[in-house]
Amino acid sequence: MHIDLLNFNIKMKRAQIQIGETIAVLFVFFILIIIGFMFYVKVIKDNIDIEKEEMSQLRSVGISQRIMFLPEIQCSEDNIIIDNCIDILKLDYAQSIMKENEIYYYDLLEFSDVNVVQIYPGEAKWNIYSRKTEDFSSKFVTNVPVSLYDPASRKHGFGVLTIETLFK
Amino acid sequence: MINKKAFEIQFNWIFVLVAGAAIILFFTVVVIKQKNVSETSTKATVLKSVEAIITGAGVSTDTTNRIGIPSSDINVDCGRVSIGEVSKQYQNLILFAPSLIKGDKLITQTLAFSTPYRATNLLYITSPQLRYIIIGNSEIAKYINKSMPAELKKEFYKSAPEIKNSNNYRIRFVLFDNIIAFPKALEKLPDSDVTAVKINGDNEKGTAEFYQKQGSSWTLKDTSSYIGKQSLLGAIYSDTFEAYECNMQNVFSRLNLVTKIYVERTKRLMEGAVTGSQIRCNQFYSNALTQLNSILAASSGFSRENINVIAASANSLAGENKNAQIYSCTLIY
Repeated sequence: MHIDLLNFNIKMKRAQIQIGETIAVLFVFFILIIIGFMFYVKVIKDNIDIEKEEMSQLRSVGISQRIMFLPEIQCSEDNIIIDNCIDILKLDYAQSIMKENEIYYYDLLEFSDVNVVQIYPGEAKWNIYSRKTEDFSSKFVTNVPVSLYDPASRKHGFGVLTIETLFK
Repeated sequence: MINKKAFEIQFNWIFVLVAGAAIILFFTVVVIKQKNVSETSTKATVLKSVEAIITGAGVSTDTTNRIGIPSSDINVDCGRVSIGEVSKQYQNLILFAPSLIKGDKLITQTLAFSTPYRATNLLYITSPQLRYIIIGNSEIAKYINKSMPAELKKEFYKSAPEIKNSNNYRIRFVLFDNIIAFPKALEKLPDSDVTAVKINGDNEKGTAEFYQKQGSSWTLKDTSSYIGKQSLLGAIYSDTFEAYECNMQNVFSRLNLVTKIYVERTKRLMEGAVTGSQIRCNQFYSNALTQLNSILAASSGFSRENINVIAASANSLAGENKNAQIYSCTLIY
């Protein structure tokens, strides 16, 4: 009777040890999965940050392209567009038109600050569009050398189109 | 004792079963979540590509591109482009496209909208899987056939042929003479998949009647107008009256803004042309200013009356610009 009870206790303990072993294995297994998952999330998060940066750069290039090809400021000769050329007479009035219709142009130019700076002859500055945000996470500045054409005097000057784009 | 041993073994199996089920459940949940994330990510990537196309193609005039994308269904609405639940809203989007673009290829075309000065670029996007059937014997029918990219699945007939179903997801008829009898082979297709546009007019201006299949016949949805080849192509690519009107309204809004700038520019040119040989230029600028003001007033809204005004003023303005060129004056546009 005493031996039977002893055998029973030994088997129970062996069974308990086996279950304990299984639980320990599962515990380690899940710990490994959690560590793996955390690593995966970290990698994904880093990739998202890189992608976000690339997207911001792409959008910045897109905005710069749109500004460069705005019929509101571009030079033309019998409706033939002259690349990298800004018409000063158009520019004077485009400033006020774009300020009056800021919401319309926001769809095209988003949060950005667009300036044309004349370098030669003389110095002058036009702020075409300005809509900024305080809580931006990235900022890109694009400088494009442009020819500034004055149709009244039919003379070309030289300037820089500065496009500052901000992204949240 | 045997019963207890059996109980011990059974318990072990139940335990393994529960743990195994938990592990399988965990991985199933992870896989399903990952699948959803991956699908949404693919849709977002395609939408970003479409956005880049809209920006890129929108700034380069007179270009046609064939662009490969992951196979997707792109829905184009008034100021909205969406793929599944991922969408992008635009306030003043000018994009003439069928309401559904299916497949792994996009065909884009860009043309400048000039009246007679460039106001904006018109962007057209469609799928090579969409079938265009052009029927007409007029000069404008031939001209439109030539203007549409060769990469499109387009057929050109001088008179109504026997149309067969070639399993395209949508069919668009472009009719220049009379409305044709509805083809028998297409009767079983869903109503929304077969549409037609009937053009009455020339290269300069005219009307576009929008038809849709209803059972085994055509039903006239509405009639709109076009100005120039560019907006006529817009009426062909847009498969609904609403989409075309919305885009043309956006085109007119832009025309209005650009015209304001040309009005002020011409005033400044007039102020500068007061001495010597420039006096003759002053007359051209004065006439041009009248036409520009007329375009400015008519571009406040897209309507047939305004189109007639703009078309007439655009012709006169082109004449004044030509005169300015002949007399070596600064050009108006």
